[in-house]
Formats: sequence, structure tokens, C-alpha cells
Amino acid sequence: VAKTSLSSPPWPEVKLPDPVEEAKYHAEVVRKVNGLISAGHYGRLFAVVHFASKQWKITSEDLIMMDNVLEAECGDRIRMEKVLLVGADDFTLIGRPLLGKDLVRVEATVIEKTESWPKVNMRFWRRHNYQRKKIIANPQTVLRINTIEIYPCLS
Amino acid sequence: RYVRQLQRLQLLFSPTAADARGARQFVEEAAQDFARQHPDVVLYVSPHSGPGPAPVLRAEYLNGTVREELIASKTSEEIVQLATKLANQSGLDIIRIRKPFHTDNPSVQGQWHPLTNKPSILTIQGPRLQPQ
Repeated sequence: VAKTSLSSPPWPEVKLPDPVEEAKYHAEVVRKVNGLISAGHYGRLFAVVHFASKQWKITSEDLIMMDNVLEAECGDRIRMEKVLLVGADDFTLIGRPLLGKDLVRVEATVIEKTESWPKVNMRFWRRHNYQRKKIIANPQTVLRINTIEIYPCLS
Repeated sequence: RYVRQLQRLQLLFSPTAADARGARQFVEEAAQDFARQHPDVVLYVSPHSGPGPAPVLRAEYLNGTVREELIASKTSEEIVQLATKLANQSGLDIIRIRKPFHTDNPSVQGQWHPLTNKPSILTIQGPRLQPQ
């Protein structure tokens, strides 16, 4: 085929490595990461968690606020499932799309259940003598993430 | 390891006023149950006789903020709900909060700057247009 401006794609061509070598490389990486986890050579862990229809990036001891009511009393410990990603300084564990429950454990406590600041909801049509005013205060919950733990059972 | 932020709840009402009827019913029926359910909140009931100020439920928090809510012409159930809501709150001001999250350590693997994931020749050479 003659080399014109449209004969090959504009991005640079990438050669994929051998599948057998790939498998060996993958196995070695998994073994190394398992060794690191079981030896405990990680500092802070961060996690990406899907909670209350939003995805949060959380570490230990940080505060999160949601605009709804949880059915847990103040001071209850909650375990969050639906963990998408867990990472530390040297390695990350990416889930497709979720990570297993026997791999990661994210715990949080409900600190307070307040209402938001009073928002004004007003409707007004001009020249029609129509206005309605309503003050809305949504209930909110504040959680504090206690711990994020991982267990060495990768595959 | 959870500390309730409410220090004490003071119920000020006068037994003769007509609009304190809900407060009186609350004191008779539900105050004991409320106190038993929240053992770490102190509930003070102080009736002042004669025509005085309006009946008020005052909540004091651990950081010093005092919040007063009127309970005139409210039923006993509403007062119970109000009291639980105050008990679950903390003493921070209810204003607009800009972010729904707060971290002390925002970056674990190092914060991103435009030179991460680029070949280290760039720090010496600088960005230069390669001749095509």
C-alpha cells in the first residue's frame, strides 16, 4: 500500500509484548504486592468508595457529609462496601468495577445528624401577582472514616 | 469512641401559660423516656411560675454554642422530635458549608504536578517543538 496521509492511523503504532512473558510478569508483580501487603510495608491507605450515589476519595480520619438521612443512630459503626480502588504509596489495587469484600474493609462512624442551612425556595411570576416562598432545610449526616484495611488474599 | 456534642438541655416553661401545654405534656409523659434513651445528655426542667418569657428549649454544646428553640404551641411529639434533632447535632453554626468533605492528608501518592508521568529529559531540556 502506498504511504499517504491516510494509509496508516495518525497515532504511533505500539507493539504489544508476548502473552507468555506478560503472564510471567503479571504473576511476579502480584507476588511482590502480596508480599508487601502481608509484611505490612504500607503507610497511609486511600480508597475510592461509592456511597450515597457519589464517589469519594477517602483516607482514614477524614470527614464526609451527605445530604440524606441514614438509618443509623449517632455513634454507630458502619462498614462501607462498594470499594472501587485502594491505593498506598507504592501500589494500587484497581477493582473491575468493585473490589472483593474479603480484600478491603472500610469502617466509618456516624458523628452527627443535623439539618442544612435554611435555603429559600421562591417562585415568582411577573405581572401575575403570584409568589410563593418556602424555606427548606435538608437533613444531613456527617461521617468520619475510621480505618481502611487490606488483607493479603490477591489472586 | 463517640462523644455526643450536646452538653445539656434546659426546658424553661411556666406551668400556667396556655401555650406551654405541649411542654407540660412532654414533661409528664416523654421526658423520662427521652432521658433514658440518651444517657449522656443532662435534661434540666425548670418551671418558672407566673406570666414570664415564652417556653423555650435551650441546648448547650461542648464548644459553647447555645441554641434556643421556641416550643410554644407545639405538641409533645414535635417537642420529642426537636429534642432528638438537637441531641444529634453538634455545636457548629448552621451556615453554608463550601465542601462536603474535609481531609487532613489530601494526597497519599504525592500531589500531581504537570511534570509527573513525563520523561525526565524535560527538566533539563524544557518543552521544545520537535521538527516533524
